[in-house]
Amino acid sequence: MIDFEPTEEQALMVTAVSQLASKLRERIRQTERDHGLPAELRLAAFEMGLGGGVAVPESHGGAGLGLVTAVLLDETLAVGDPAAPFALGGPGALAGALHELGTPAQASEWLGKLSSADRCGAVAWSEPRAHATRAGFCTTATRSGDDWVLSGVKAFVLNADRADAFVVFAQVDEAAGWAGIGAFIVERAATGLTVGERKVTLGLDAVGAFDLKLDGVKVGPAARLAGGEDFCRSALRFFVKEALKVSARAVGLSQAAFDASLEYVTNRRAFGKPIGHFQAVAFTLADRAMDLEAARHMVRRSASLWDAAATGAASERDALLASAQAVSMSLEGAMRAGDDAVQLHGGAGFMRDYPVEKYMRDAKQLGLCSMTKEQADQLGAAVALGVALDPAVVLPTPDLQAVFT
Amino acid sequence: MTIEFTLTKRQEELRSAIGSLARNVIRPQSLGWDRAHGIPEEFLLRFTQMAASMGGTAGAWGVQGLGATGEEASESAEKKKKSGGAMVSTVVAAEELATGDPALLLCLPGPGLGGPPVRGSGTPEQRERFFSVFKDMSAGLKWGAYALTEPGAGSDVAGIRTSCRKEGREWVLNGRKCYITNGARASWNVVFATIDPSLGRAGHRAFVVEKGTPGFSVGKIEDKMGLRASETAELVLEDCRVPEENLLGGEEKYQTKEGFLTAMKTFDNTRPLVAAMAIGIGRAAYEHAVDFVKERYVLSRPIPRYAAIAERLARVGRDLAAARILTLRAAWLADREIANAKEASMAKAAGGQAAIKACMEAIEICGAHGAVAEDQQLLEKWFRDIKVYDIFEGTGQIQRIVISKRLMPDLRSF
Repeated sequence: MIDFEPTEEQALMVTAVSQLASKLRERIRQTERDHGLPAELRLAAFEMGLGGGVAVPESHGGAGLGLVTAVLLDETLAVGDPAAPFALGGPGALAGALHELGTPAQASEWLGKLSSADRCGAVAWSEPRAHATRAGFCTTATRSGDDWVLSGVKAFVLNADRADAFVVFAQVDEAAGWAGIGAFIVERAATGLTVGERKVTLGLDAVGAFDLKLDGVKVGPAARLAGGEDFCRSALRFFVKEALKVSARAVGLSQAAFDASLEYVTNRRAFGKPIGHFQAVAFTLADRAMDLEAARHMVRRSASLWDAAATGAASERDALLASAQAVSMSLEGAMRAGDDAVQLHGGAGFMRDYPVEKYMRDAKQLGLCSMTKEQADQLGAAVALGVALDPAVVLPTPDLQAVFT
Repeated sequence: MTIEFTLTKRQEELRSAIGSLARNVIRPQSLGWDRAHGIPEEFLLRFTQMAASMGGTAGAWGVQGLGATGEEASESAEKKKKSGGAMVSTVVAAEELATGDPALLLCLPGPGLGGPPVRGSGTPEQRERFFSVFKDMSAGLKWGAYALTEPGAGSDVAGIRTSCRKEGREWVLNGRKCYITNGARASWNVVFATIDPSLGRAGHRAFVVEKGTPGFSVGKIEDKMGLRASETAELVLEDCRVPEENLLGGEEKYQTKEGFLTAMKTFDNTRPLVAAMAIGIGRAAYEHAVDFVKERYVLSRPIPRYAAIAERLARVGRDLAAARILTLRAAWLADREIANAKEASMAKAAGGQAAIKACMEAIEICGAHGAVAEDQQLLEKWFRDIKVYDIFEGTGQIQRIVISKRLMPDLRSF
């Protein structure tokens, strides 16, 4: 039946994470300057179970709490600081990649190894540019006896500086284009792996983005992630579920921007009354409230469809369509929320005394993490039209738009 | 309690049955009804009987079906769990039915929008008297209607000028009402009037004015852009003498501001319903465009021209999904008897806009075919039908005023 209410257990977790979010909110500028979360808050988040494995099944070494719980917690945390969910300790995005692409044993092993507030995982997908002559990655994985040798450059890898392990995507069959890609677990200490300089980014300063150079990095046969029956389909599931978590963070950001705007227009007076009491301002606020409500429940609905799909109670097609729509809506909504928040603050919004300019910058960068709204729209159309899900169109390939992972 | 968005088995059956009826039986006739400015009574009768035999929940058949018997739609918690919620079922059904023809929903016999104020404010005797009209329609269909809007007062409901004064045991009404759905054929209209315009809302009175009351007459029947199969009438009250028993709720009801509240309370439940109907029309246009594109293009490759069309389709689908979830939320709150004025207005504002966009985009995507070709004329009709969904039951701007006031409780007026 239709129900919008979280379980009691979820509500308790949300309350706890919400308290942590308040602390994050208080030091949002310091976190930004320090390029990372304070150790004690990262530890507090880790102890609450945050850090990547919330939705991963217990069979794969995760908490098995489902994607609905994951998006509820990410949304709540992001209200405090939209960058925080990216900067936690624990396996992070790597958890989802191992869940979808690896075996239960591979996932359990690495989720276990990375289960610490001081450890971290990362995913290396994007590349600096598209291949000039064919589809697929420039980075290659070639056989060397039983081993694999990885060579190339990956880009826009979040947390590469502190990551202990990476899931690296590379071309295993050059002739097969996007259908010929594969993924490997690569340890930080591997010979030939170097992390580039930290990029100066528009927003999300609490998390760093880096190039990852692979110069003949050798990994054993056990490092390869088979990707189930259809590698690209598994990769798509990873990206879509990860994008839903990013969307939940976008909803949290929108809520924070909305709250700041409401407070400002209620207190700021002009022409003898609060500026919120002018229609142009009030209607803007009403529109953002509508976006926010719609995006929030679309994200939760999509997550519930994935949880249901895991037991066969919903179709993957429905989950993909709902997710594509939710991602598009929430990323666009967050950008509007950030933009309007600055606009409603007027000149004050441009100053770093208020948090809204950060929300606006963060919103733009959130829209480039895991999946862009343009990619979500292409995915949504492909599912709605019932055409084959061509990896070149529905995966966030560097051919179209590179993404942060 | 758990976050989930699947319909109950029963709701799913209802949705599927209504959907197939809408698209296989209703849609093929809808252009004809549009051109004939009405739906034949035989069809309405047959449809009503069929709906009853399919045994939907009390409200599952859209606006006119809402409490057609005048009974309260409230359910016990246990029953609610089993049914999935009466209001949720209603919006699900209304969306499906509207994919067939939105005008049909407005034409269905029953008390219509007149139902909620009679049910909410009428005395037990009044409820019995006015709802009993609909108990037996074998000799002819019967309608009720809701007459609030005037030539000089639309959104500003408090500004109505139709006057009423007590003379002996009668009330004498003078004024004009306009844009009244089913107003001419209604057995009775709930008419809002004022004892003194300077009193504002406190001066409002609501009457049940029966057909044939001396001084009551029908003015012109409107010639509209869309929803042409639905009757929209002007009502004229010239020294119209209404018995005192027809003052809704009796005299004591009006010692407070409740007269105006009677008018407004009607909307908290009808706005999600209207939103659902709008989404149904928008969905019909969207699905039409999807089918059109499927036949004409191969969209499996990233050719920019196709990607642009794909993106537009995706956004139409997305915005309809956004409006649908706002509508479900407003309905879900109503089922739990939680105040939902803000959410109902969000649903209405989002639904109207998303559906208008859907119809416009569908026409553009289909190109000239969308406006002229014989087999595409439903699209042209939906485009005409949909505009009013951002106007009636409160314009998009009025919805934003409602939302603003809920966001900023100290905001009284602009």
